[in-house]
Amino acid sequence: MDKTDPTRQTKTRTKKESLSREERQKQLEFQNEAVGHLNALYNYALHLTMNPSDAEDLVQETYLKAYRFFNSFERGTNCKAWLFKILKNNYINRFRKNSKEPGKVDYDLIKDFYHSIKDTRSDTSEAESDYFHSLLHEEVYQALHSLPEEFREVIQLCDIEGFTYEEIANMVESPIGTVRSRLYRGRKLLRNQLEGYAKKYGFNNDNDQ
Amino acid sequence: MNCKKAGVLISASVDGELSASEEQGFLLHLSECKECRVEFDDAKKTKLIIQEKIIQFKAPDALIVAIMQLTSLNTKEPHLYE
Ligand SMILES: [Zn+2]
Repeated sequence: MDKTDPTRQTKTRTKKESLSREERQKQLEFQNEAVGHLNALYNYALHLTMNPSDAEDLVQETYLKAYRFFNSFERGTNCKAWLFKILKNNYINRFRKNSKEPGKVDYDLIKDFYHSIKDTRSDTSEAESDYFHSLLHEEVYQALHSLPEEFREVIQLCDIEGFTYEEIANMVESPIGTVRSRLYRGRKLLRNQLEGYAKKYGFNNDNDQ
Repeated sequence: MNCKKAGVLISASVDGELSASEEQGFLLHLSECKECRVEFDDAKKTKLIIQEKIIQFKAPDALIVAIMQLTSLNTKEPHLYE
């Protein structure tokens, strides 16, 4: 995004100088509140689109829209939750409508992702020695993505992003009771998937009845 | 509380989302039901695995720059519903 074009630069500057005090105030507040959630939004976008450049587009659109409608953000509420909801809506409008079938996952892409960072991150909890710790990152990722979207989504929002049930309910536009039961059922499904991987490695499940 | 009722509360309990009275009833049931205890531990573990194994990527630098520009210059019109 280099601004090498001189006319454009001049234009930009003029516009910037003409910004009102109010506008500048808004920018500052927006940067403080919203920009810090960039990584979380990018990750969520990756989960949704399974494609890095789509994810970038989605995040950019989200910030554009968020900035534009920043006045409608209720101060004191969770800004991250507000941004996530915008991103989700944008995703539905832009991506899901036309192109991709939902649930179609590019596993090679996931593998590439995970391999590219494999060595840069060390596992922290070696203490527990059960079979889950032998699971690979991409296997857990794959298991998560094998779930129906309604389950995957709430698990992501709860376990990865740390939103409250109320925030999730608002995001997925369902009652809290629904969020509860989706999490319950989703985790059960996920557990089954993961046990499948574990069995592959010859671990026994002690809890077999 | 029976197992069916307790089952519905398992995930919410793992997430600390039960009301005080729900929590009380739930814990009471857990103390006397091994099956639900196992399920509760499983749910807890599943949450932990997700948190541990799902890697969070860092946004690309180009994206960070783009967002900073967009919020500091505000010269572009959004294309929201392409
Ligand atoms: Zn029980």
